Formats: sequence, structure tokens, C-alpha cells
Amino acid sequence: MSTTEKLVFSSSPHLKDKVSVPSAMRDVFIALMPVTAAAIYFFRLYAVFTIAVALITAVLTELLFSRLMGKKHSLYDWSALLTGLFVALLFPATAAWWTVAIATFIAVGIAKELMGGLGWNLFNPALFGRVAVILLAPWLAYVSGWFAPLAPNLGPVDTLTQATPLAMLQSGSADLPSLGRLFVGFPAGALSEVSPLLVLIGAAYLFYRGHINWRIPASILGTVMVLSAILGHNPVYQICTGGIMIGAFFMATDWVTSPFTGRGKLIFGAAIGVLIVVFRFGLAPTEGVAFSILIMNAFVPLINRKTTHPQFGHVRKAVAVE
Amino acid sequence: MEVKQFVGGIHVPHHKSFSEHKAIKEASVPAEIIIPLVQHTGVPNQPLVNVGDRVKAGQLIGATDKFVSAPVHASLSGTVTAVERRLCFTGEMVQSVVISVDRDQDKLELADVDLDKVTREEAIKAVREAGVVGMGGAAFPTAVKLSPPPDKKIDALLINGCECEPFLTCDHRIMVEQPEKLLRGVRLLMDILGVKHAYVCVEDNKPDAIEALRQKNKDPQIVLVKLPTKYPQGSEKHLVKAVLDREIPSGGLPFDVGTLIQNVGTCVAVYEAVKHRRPLIDRVVTVTGQNVRDPQNLLVKIGTPLSHLIAECGGIMQQPAKVVVGGPMTGKAQQTLEAPVVKGTTGVVVLPPDLALEDMDYRACVSCCRCVEHCPVMIYPNQISIYCEAGLVREAAYWNTMDCIECGICAYVCPSKRPIVQWVQLTKPLIRQLESERK
Repeated sequence: MSTTEKLVFSSSPHLKDKVSVPSAMRDVFIALMPVTAAAIYFFRLYAVFTIAVALITAVLTELLFSRLMGKKHSLYDWSALLTGLFVALLFPATAAWWTVAIATFIAVGIAKELMGGLGWNLFNPALFGRVAVILLAPWLAYVSGWFAPLAPNLGPVDTLTQATPLAMLQSGSADLPSLGRLFVGFPAGALSEVSPLLVLIGAAYLFYRGHINWRIPASILGTVMVLSAILGHNPVYQICTGGIMIGAFFMATDWVTSPFTGRGKLIFGAAIGVLIVVFRFGLAPTEGVAFSILIMNAFVPLINRKTTHPQFGHVRKAVAVE
Repeated sequence: MEVKQFVGGIHVPHHKSFSEHKAIKEASVPAEIIIPLVQHTGVPNQPLVNVGDRVKAGQLIGATDKFVSAPVHASLSGTVTAVERRLCFTGEMVQSVVISVDRDQDKLELADVDLDKVTREEAIKAVREAGVVGMGGAAFPTAVKLSPPPDKKIDALLINGCECEPFLTCDHRIMVEQPEKLLRGVRLLMDILGVKHAYVCVEDNKPDAIEALRQKNKDPQIVLVKLPTKYPQGSEKHLVKAVLDREIPSGGLPFDVGTLIQNVGTCVAVYEAVKHRRPLIDRVVTVTGQNVRDPQNLLVKIGTPLSHLIAECGGIMQQPAKVVVGGPMTGKAQQTLEAPVVKGTTGVVVLPPDLALEDMDYRACVSCCRCVEHCPVMIYPNQISIYCEAGLVREAAYWNTMDCIECGICAYVCPSKRPIVQWVQLTKPLIRQLESERK
């Protein structure tokens, strides 16, 4: 008997699927490319600069926190880069670069790494970072004086500071873009809001790759459409404005921060839809989507516990034998 | 016949082409055989031979008077050289009889019994004496299964020819090459149990097996069922669900829903045991994988060391390899090739270096739900993995860890590569302990 065989030992199963966390994150990155390209097309250097600031900050923050916490950095799982890109896409092109940097720092450093790393975060990191700088705005105003001299000159700004369709709706402005133009590409608001069509193309790729499920986007969009129709607004126009598309397909569907039960996903999506409508028509017209998703992130553990399906052989008792 | 799809499950690449069209070939005689005294689920046997004894092929060498057991026989003639603890494929050391095999082997003496004159009790006794166990891998003593408690009425017999594990083709070849023996075994089992309906269940990736059985089956009470190919179709719970739409209750057994399931190989063994009084001393083993030179379906004497089988098939081509006993989804990886083939050994899969995965670095659960979507027993492997990893036994029990059938789908699809099955296997005994302490 030969004893020279080199045999590898491990527990079953001995076959593994090819999909891994890095490959899935890379797919999401790819899915964001169409809308990123559109943002760069519309906002030129401003978009490039914002995205670059966010990506660089994300990488540095990841390295800093992994050093602080004494563990191996996880840059290769793409999650830090992805969070950085998401943060950039949530800002308007003309946003001050230090707010973008602070948001990214909070997103990657606090909302992801300090929570235990990818998988343990309760809140969507990118949205957390974005909302944090909104809430910190009064304090950041002090800081902006220091950074102002560091702002690069990227050309004239006037054409880029268009009012968003949502703000126009609110103020009753007559210059509303047509639905078709809004859907294909209209440069206003955050980078990710320029083209619902391209967001949908990215989302289609994620569906094709099996990374997202129809339940959350469908329940968000459905709820928003029904409620805005009841309130007398054009439902299709509503879902094409603001961050609803990117929120429904990319943010609310984030694996870690959404429910893992089928019914839970529907409840989660519907609740986000209701909150979006409440924010949009009842409170402030901006960032309603980000707040809605973050609020519901906090309810995910509860939703999970309350919506589990019974296991095989649990409910149905033994059938009678003839 | 109409079948229902069960919820969950997955299409794993089935890799059957290595051996599915290779006829069963008798393996050569090894120089030494190791016969573990426990090859079944149940009470271990006591050795009936001593070192130095001459034994004949088919001779009883281990038995016990306990009910849940199956005796073992010498599979070849020779001299007992040791009765000691030897490595089993499970990684445990098991009391075994080691036999130095004679160069010249006598032909096994077989009886020829008229099956029409055999009573139910005689048949069960013959099955018991032949040491027949479930040959699909679980190795539960067949005679025990054929004597269900009197309050459990069995009305349907399911014959499991699904063979849903990738790579394995031993059941496939038995169905193609021995359909008559198989069907006579089924009839025998039906008569023993007194059931009017038997369903021979085959996945639709084995059309030649279905055709062979269809041609030979003259019995209107034996129904041939073609099932969609989906892992784990061959799991008892999912087979009963698909064929009869009956759901085995959580923690229950097939006879709780009036059914009994036998593997196709077991049916042939039962036929041989009753008709010829032939003890279970050999079985068909698929030796396959990308990394073995000449994959084959071999008729192997029980006790043959794995190294002999692999040498018989041309040896391992590339190192490091992974040798798995059983299918790749649920089988056991081997650290050496010294363990013997036992009654429940369905196959030996030799995986190449790129598939010879060690326990790799895993990440935290990212809650992607792929395991939840595909789990055939509809539990939440994501939660279970988190609590089992953390050693939170109570929480693991809350999430129904005990219902896990360890099919391996969750760990197969996991993008974080979490060793979920391993954690479940480590946690189940702790949950049992917790539950017994509560009582």
C-alpha cells in the first residue's frame, strides 16, 4: 500500500459553487457602471472628482481601520470600493469634496468596519454615511471654512446647479422635464439620479446574475406608485424622480441590511415605500429615500423573526393511511 | 405518473459521464481484507473468530443478539491475522476482523429456494442472516426496517433509484444491468410488507435505466416513476413528498406516513438473500472523478481497502487529491487510503487538485439568502451557521438545526464559503445533550 499519496481533508460538501462575496461585489460594481458613466457624461470633471474622492477615501479608511483593529484588510472583497462608489453616487456633483470624504469615512469606517465588518453592519453603510453628513450639516458648516481654499477649480458651475424635478414639483415650477427625458437622462440631483433607465439596466444585470430578488424593488415601487396615485400624483413620474430607482434596486436590496425571509422582504419594501411617500409629500422633499431605507434597516432583525416560514414537516401532521 | 416538485433543492453539475456507461466489472482479489464488525447503524457485532482461524467466503464472523443489528460475513476465504481496531472511512477506529486472503478462492455455495413457498417470517430471517443493510449509504439493517411497529401500517413501498449525488453511478448500473433481479427483489419486499403499491423512482437523467426497467416490468402493482433531476431528490423526505405528496413530520420516519423506502441495491441484496441464501459480501462501488485514470463501476468484496480499488482503476493522476467515500455532497474525505469498503460504500470519488478544496478562509454571513432559497428542509442555514459558529446552542436549536439533513446545499451555494454542515454536525450532539438535560 502506498503511503505517499497527498490527500486533502475537509468536511462535506466537497463541491462549491463559483459565486463568492468578491465576485458578487464586483458584479454590483459593474452594474453601477452605466449610471456612473451617465453621471460623468453630464457632470464631467465634477463627477469624476467626486467619485475619485470617495474611492480614495474608502480605500484609506479601510486600511486605517483594519490597522487600528489589528486584522487583515478586506480590500479584495471589493466592499470598501463599492461603498465608496455608492457614497459618491448619492451626492450631487457640486457637493463639497470634504463632505464626500467625511461621508465615505463614516460609511466605511464606522458603519461597516466598527460594526464588525461586512456582514455585521445593521445599516447600509453608504446611506449611513450620506445621512450622517446631512445631520451633521450645522457642524460641518464651521469646518467648510477651513477647506474652502482647497476646493479645486473644475470650471463653471451654473449649468450644473439645476433644481431637481422633485424640488420643481414642490415649488410648482413650470419647467418640469417630460417623463421621457426624465427617464432617459436629466442632469439634476445626485449622481445616481441622472438616469432611471441606466439604473434599471444595471439592475437587470444583477437580476441576471441572481444577486437580487424581485420582492424588495417590486414592493417599494408598487407601494410608492399606488400611494402617489391615491394622493393625485403621476405614479410613473414619481418613481422616476429622486433616488427611488437606485434606492429600490441597489440600496434596499443590500444583502446584509435587508430581511432574509420572503415575506419579510415584501413587508420591508412596502414599509420603505410608505415612508418614502410620507417623506416626499409630508416632510422634506429631499433624501426621503435614504432616510426611509435606513429607518427600515433597523427593523430587519424584528421582521426576520416574525416572518420565518415553517420548516419541512413542521405544520402538516402525518397523513392518514387508507 | 404525476410527481410534485419539492421546494428548494438545486441543480448541481452531476459529473456522471465518467462512469455511467461503464458496465459493472468484478474487482480483483486483494491480498488482505478488513471487515469492520459494525457496518450498519445500530449495535456493534461481537467477533466469532480468533486470530489464526481459517475462514471461508460467506462464513459468519461477527454477530450479536441485539435486534437493531446486521451480522457480518467473511467476503473471501483466508486466515484471520488480527481482530483489532482499524480505521473506518468515517475516521473512527472500529473493531475489525483482518483476513489474509487465500490465492485460490472457492466458489460460493448457493441455495435455490422456491420463492412461492417462502413465508414472510422466513424471508425476514433470511434477510437478517444475510446481513443486508440499506445500501444507499445510511446502512440501516433491512430486516429491522421490514418489521415496523404494529401500529404503523405501511401502504406504499418506494424504491430509491434517484442517485441524486453527483458522480455516483452504482445504482444506475444496477438498474441497467440487473433489472430483473431488482424487480423480483421489489416483489419480494412487497410480499413481506403486504403492500399493494411499489414505486420505483428514477431521476430523468438516467433514461437507459428507466427503459430497462420498463421493458422488464410485467407487474402492474410496480409503478415506474420518472422524477425531475434535482439534488437532493434521493433524500427520503423529498422522495416521499415528490411521489406521494406526503410530508414526513419533523423528527419522524417514513413509516409515520405509511411508507417504506429501499435503495435499488438493497432490493437486489434482498433477492439474493432470500432466493440463494447469499450473504451480503460484495457490492457495486463507483470509483470515479476527474483525478482517477480509469473510472469504473466495480463489484467489490466488502473489506477491500480503498488503496486496492484506486490502484485497480489506474491510480490517482495528480497530487494533491481529495478522495471522498460516498458522493461529493455528503461523503467523507479520507486522510489515508487504508479504510475498507463497507456495505454502505456507494462510491469513491477522486477529485483533482483544483477541486481538492481544503477548509478555506470563510467570511461572515452576508445574508444573501441563497442557502435559504435552496434549503430543501426549509430551515434558515444562515442563522444556524451564525449561532453554531458562536456556540449558541439554544439559539441553534430555536432555528431548527435538528431538522437539517446535512445535504450540503447551503455550504455549496454560500458566497462566504462558510462550512455550515461541519458546524451543524458539531452542534447537533450539543443540542441533544441540552434537550436531555431539560427532561
